[in-house]
Amino acid sequence: MDGVLEGIVSGLQVAFSLQGILFVLIGVFIGTFIGMLPGLGPISAIAIMIPLTYGMDPALALVLMAGVYYGAVFGGSTSSILLNAPGISGTVATSFDGYPMAQQGKAGKALAVAAISSFAGGTISVILLMIFAPVLASVAISFGPPAYFALMLLGLTAIASLSEGSTLKALISAVVGFMIVTIGIDPQTGTARFTFGSANLLDGIDFLVIALGLFALAEVGYLIINRKQKGMKNAKEIGSLKLTKEDAKEMGGPISRHSILGFIIGILPGAGATIASFISYITEKRISKKPEEFGKGSVKGLAAPEVSNNAATSGAFVPLLSLGIPGSGTTAVMLGALLVMGIQPGPLLMTDRPEIFWGVIASMYIGNIFLLILNLPLIPYIARVLTIPRPLLISMVIMFSVIGVYSISFNTFDLYLLLAFGVIGFLMRMFAFPAPPFILAFILGGMMEQAFRQSMTISNGSLMIFIENKIALVLIILSLLSFLYPIYQSYRNKKRAAREVG
Amino acid sequence: MPLYEVNGNAVGFIRILSMAKGGLFMLQNVNRKAGIILFLVAMVYLIFSYQLPSYPYIPVDADFIPKVLGWLLAILSVALFFAKDQDSEEQKKKRQIPKKDAIAILVVMGMVFVYILLLEIIGFVMMTALFIYLTSWFLGYDRHVTNAVVSVLFPVILYGIFNYLLQIHLPSGILPV
Repeated sequence: MDGVLEGIVSGLQVAFSLQGILFVLIGVFIGTFIGMLPGLGPISAIAIMIPLTYGMDPALALVLMAGVYYGAVFGGSTSSILLNAPGISGTVATSFDGYPMAQQGKAGKALAVAAISSFAGGTISVILLMIFAPVLASVAISFGPPAYFALMLLGLTAIASLSEGSTLKALISAVVGFMIVTIGIDPQTGTARFTFGSANLLDGIDFLVIALGLFALAEVGYLIINRKQKGMKNAKEIGSLKLTKEDAKEMGGPISRHSILGFIIGILPGAGATIASFISYITEKRISKKPEEFGKGSVKGLAAPEVSNNAATSGAFVPLLSLGIPGSGTTAVMLGALLVMGIQPGPLLMTDRPEIFWGVIASMYIGNIFLLILNLPLIPYIARVLTIPRPLLISMVIMFSVIGVYSISFNTFDLYLLLAFGVIGFLMRMFAFPAPPFILAFILGGMMEQAFRQSMTISNGSLMIFIENKIALVLIILSLLSFLYPIYQSYRNKKRAAREVG
Repeated sequence: MPLYEVNGNAVGFIRILSMAKGGLFMLQNVNRKAGIILFLVAMVYLIFSYQLPSYPYIPVDADFIPKVLGWLLAILSVALFFAKDQDSEEQKKKRQIPKKDAIAILVVMGMVFVYILLLEIIGFVMMTALFIYLTSWFLGYDRHVTNAVVSVLFPVILYGIFNYLLQIHLPSGILPV
């Protein structure tokens, strides 16, 4: 227990150092900023920030990246409420009741409800994160390569079956992502794979090229198409930010329920802020005494998804910090950045690098307080971000992506690759292939192959090792279920439809 | 009016998720086309996978995972070929891009290409200033003074931050600093 206490102290030292406070402020500010802009998601935001973090202390770098992530989820609600154009997919449900409220001239009230709910969801879930991450880490410490392989397999199948749209397309996206990571020298045998004799490909493709191409540049494509979309004309229309006692009373229920629900959904691999916010909205409507108010500006209907999406972002840090396995595209990008800095998150992180583990958790308390200030008293000023002309924004995002890739490779070859992945990402969006499974498989793929081959070396080539290891067996069965259940479900639906017709 | 209809079942909300991102048109056989292309990708990948060398006494060699992935993609692409198009209307709308916008995207791509091509030769500051100004102008930003100020200030400040604070050297090109 002493170790944990010392760890928490070293984490607090990081979070409350001048640099710690500064970086968390920069992180949440940029997160709020990018989160508000419709079209740019948290993955792009973090990927754009990565080059800046390379020279930094890893603890501060993670504090900054985490700040961008939960800042984006916090800030995304503003454009959902004011423009009915969600800043990020996690705040789509926020617009159901937030936008009607704004149309009734109560935009200020809606922003205040959203900010307080986000703050409550964010803060309560950090407390849960503090409790759960160490527990999970202490369980995972005994995991060997077979259990790790099975755990990563579960992460991949879960994101494919839980993510939006067709499961088949998500699986294809994941397989192609895995294929891309096989390019380069194989770390175990030294064989050059799929390099076609190019020296530029020997080290493989940098994950930043994939993250910026598949997300930032691909999003630019749709920003170009929607460049004439309505912006905010006047930031002064917001109105009073004051809440009545009744409003506060109404928020109490959703806050206590959805901070826990959102957190749990966030932990699940594949289900992040977006799914959490929808489930919370639907649950709140179902248990409500006045469900007819939902969709017309209900305080509860606005508070529920806002509590939940912020709680889910903290939940997403549980598998990242305690297992070293990302459960979503966003945490996969953070893991990629940490790996570049030589940090391998996993069960040993808590004991070996407590300043990183506890530092990022402690910084989240400070980050949420900053976010409350940014999103409550300062919101009329910050909402002016929404008046930035689209053409200028588009050229800036392209420029930041180019700098990002160039500053890690100093090579124009990678810039052409970036452009190519931008085109691939755009085509994927056009034909409804989800991009998060791609980046997740790209990050997990290399680790999975290694864990698989290590296991096979231990067992001398026998697959029985995955059955003899009980943890691995349970996890593999779970992955099979999460993979087969959607197939069974669509088969059953088809059968039922056929019966109704016949 | 809420933009997205909420019906309280799980299938409904996943539908909404895919609607959430965007825009009515569908190609009947879009899955078939994608399936064929992906199948070809799988085949090319497999051909190269089978050419990878393998060594004795290694239980799982460097060619094993690529072969598994290649066959997996081949199976999935065949499944996609025969699968019904399950995409929501919103999602299908995304496939129809007005000709004007498609041209705009291609022109911007061309500009990015030239930007990359000349980045190391002309240098970061000048190429970035030109790129931001011309791209913003092309996309319809007509406040030229603001545009010029922004497109000069941003690269100069970023160049300063990267070269002097972060010690990351961006190409100086023809400029002496």
